[in-house]
Amino acid sequence: MKILASAFCSCYNNIVYNVGKRGMRVKRVLAAAATVIFILSLAACGGNGASGAYPSRDINGIVQWGAGGGTDSLMRPLASLAEKSLGKSIVIKNMTGATGSIAAQYVSDAPADGYNLLMGAENPALYDVLDISALTYDDFDCVYLIGDETVGIAVGKDSPYTSFGELVAAASAAPGTLKISTTGVGGLPWEVGAFIKDVTGAEFLQVPYDSDASAKMAVLGGECDLTVCKVQSGLEDYRAGELRFLCMFSSAPVSAMPDVAPVTVEYPDFEKYLPWGPFYGVFVKKGTDAAVIDALSRAFSEAGQDAGYQDMLAGFNVNFLGLTGDDAANYIASWREGTVGALRNSGAIS
Amino acid sequence: MGMLSGLTAVLSEPVLIVLVALGTLAGVYVGAVPGLSGTMAVSLLVSFTLGWETRSALAVMIGVYVGAVFGGSRPAILLNVPGAPAAVATSLDGYELAKKGRAGEAMGAATVQSSIGTFFGVLALLLFAPPVSELARSFRSVDYLLLALIGLLAVGSLSGRSLTAGVIAGCAGIFLGCVGVDAQTAVRRFTFDVVYLNSGVDRVVAMIGLFGASEALFQLADAKAAPVRQKIDRVLPPLGDALRFLPLTLRSAVIGILVGALPGAGGDVAALLSYDHAKRTTAHPAVPFGEGALEGVIAPETANNAAIGGAFIPMLTLGIPGDAVTAVLLSAFTVKGLRPGPNLIRESPEFFGFIVVCLLLAAIFLPLFGLTGVRAFVKLTEIPREVLMPSILVLSAVGAYAIRNSLADVLWMFLFGVAGYFLKRFGYPVAPAVVGLILTRLCEENYRRGVMLAGSVPAMLASVFKSPVSVILLALLVFLLAAQARTRLRAKRKDMRHAAGQLDGDEH
Repeated sequence: MKILASAFCSCYNNIVYNVGKRGMRVKRVLAAAATVIFILSLAACGGNGASGAYPSRDINGIVQWGAGGGTDSLMRPLASLAEKSLGKSIVIKNMTGATGSIAAQYVSDAPADGYNLLMGAENPALYDVLDISALTYDDFDCVYLIGDETVGIAVGKDSPYTSFGELVAAASAAPGTLKISTTGVGGLPWEVGAFIKDVTGAEFLQVPYDSDASAKMAVLGGECDLTVCKVQSGLEDYRAGELRFLCMFSSAPVSAMPDVAPVTVEYPDFEKYLPWGPFYGVFVKKGTDAAVIDALSRAFSEAGQDAGYQDMLAGFNVNFLGLTGDDAANYIASWREGTVGALRNSGAIS
Repeated sequence: MGMLSGLTAVLSEPVLIVLVALGTLAGVYVGAVPGLSGTMAVSLLVSFTLGWETRSALAVMIGVYVGAVFGGSRPAILLNVPGAPAAVATSLDGYELAKKGRAGEAMGAATVQSSIGTFFGVLALLLFAPPVSELARSFRSVDYLLLALIGLLAVGSLSGRSLTAGVIAGCAGIFLGCVGVDAQTAVRRFTFDVVYLNSGVDRVVAMIGLFGASEALFQLADAKAAPVRQKIDRVLPPLGDALRFLPLTLRSAVIGILVGALPGAGGDVAALLSYDHAKRTTAHPAVPFGEGALEGVIAPETANNAAIGGAFIPMLTLGIPGDAVTAVLLSAFTVKGLRPGPNLIRESPEFFGFIVVCLLLAAIFLPLFGLTGVRAFVKLTEIPREVLMPSILVLSAVGAYAIRNSLADVLWMFLFGVAGYFLKRFGYPVAPAVVGLILTRLCEENYRRGVMLAGSVPAMLASVFKSPVSVILLALLVFLLAAQARTRLRAKRKDMRHAAGQLDGDEH
């Protein structure tokens, strides 16, 4: 590229030099030649962006969930902070569908050059066991793990159950009659249902809804008996007394709902699966150059530390992790191991 | 009090008024391009306005929302290409009006009605938020099923002359709505192991193809027809008209508000239901429905904008979005440190007031931008076909791609375009197919959920009688079905009598 650029310079000098000496015809020929070389050098700039310092062009950020959703809301601000230190834009695209596997497929189909980032939630960690896609997070390297969320088990305000133990007792007495509103196979309530069955043996009738908002509405309106809610999506209903949280799926109380007991108080056996919750991270295709991953990790770590972004994470009740490299990989590996184990034990997957 | 402090907040900072105006203007144009939607624009704004002060950011977003819902009617009337699913019903009579040279009148009516609809929606938000949100909360799966069935009856109204053709098109839409991974059991249906079919057929893609591309193909094939000269002497509807249509406007607004407030149904369903309602209740339209009845523009345009205020009701009182745009606004609220939910109105009444004021401002700006733009928009129809139609094809492709950045969607769009062309050639209406596609999921998922919750099909049917809401919906469904059957039978008998009369030598 540099050679071409210097060729362009010398040609340009030639034109300037020759204008005075020779006629118009020569000038035109040289001008045309210079133009051709100029265009070629421009094309060269666009063509081999991978060589030279990363990033040399804009980066695509492929968000696997819809615009305005939880994942999207965390990724867009983070990307706009990270692009400042990267020096190039991160162009966010929402590529939704099939539990986010279409986005994962897209990034996996693109070259492993760090110009297509998968901005995802926990879903791909289970794609293979749920038979959604052959891809999993094993096919990607985690550039930055933003954080995770705590979930709790919630019932409506008129519910007769005041503790998780009572709920489990009722469900064990009449298996499959208590209704849990879920977001479908592979969703949070479905997963937590499997954990509960594995540890306590209690089984619920799973009623799938099209979003976590409608699953919550089903409990608020009394159509279902319980649901599993992120702290973020249930907090305001909890504060208004509309939803009663029976326990937190964590080993310590959550600061936003200090009086809700962790599940381990009544059932210490849950400990082996904790901490557990949906997580959010930025990924690149496996095989991406270590220097590129490093550059991205540094830029995203810096963005994640931004005071404004930290405030926003607190507002969303996301537990900040800020992991990169092996730490991030280990977190995801143990998350997957525990979840798949519980799903197998409970018979949710074979 | 909240209302007042919201009002003073806006008035003390004129820049907020300007931002609402800019948002509304931008929204009209975003909404007018098929494939670009208010949802998209608002979600882009969430990150664009990241560093902005909360109220400025919300002012622009609310403006865009209101503008975009209205904007969809523009191409629906002028080109028979609805800008969004909520404008599908508008295209039926709106485009017929344009073909008669009355596009200016149709656009004028759509503008004024959208503004009035927005206004009624805000009024409901202000005065009836608690009871409406209680209604939305008590809506069970069975009720959504009944609502979807009532919606499917609209196929009858959208069918034109042949009900059979309409039902066939509607069934085709229902079938296509089944394609994809089933959300409840994760079973793949009609996907033939193609990854890109897993997420199903996007209804906006289908709409762009069936309306946009097919219309372009249809008109290119029919090259002889000259562009219609449009009369634009009368853009603002006369006051007498507005008064005459006021009862219909009110009823459409109520439909819009209630349907908009339901988290499971939005402006598209509201527009269809109110079009259906207008067609049933207008005894003697000046021009028959489907041939350019002004009522056919007024009802859906009022309802889809009234649905905005409706959608804000569960969002502001329960923290549950009423439609796709309020879902994005919900996360915009959180980004800005607000806490949407049942406490919002009590804890931050000034924001409730602020939103109401912004919506009202947008309702005021809407006619300003909508009516002044009419003259420019009308020119579109006067562009020669051989230039306009290929442009529509290109625009349709861009729009289909923009929805979720998928080339597969562009392919789908063209397939729908070709299918729509043949449907039109052989006298099949395309609107019922879109209705089928929109309502399949609503219908199917709630039916299955209803059966699951009740334990069996008979138990689900019995559960209908356990709630007053369900009983009312069931009565409505039965009544509409009976009324529809009666009208059809009567029309048939009249036809037969007419035919018999002609055979007898026509004594009349």
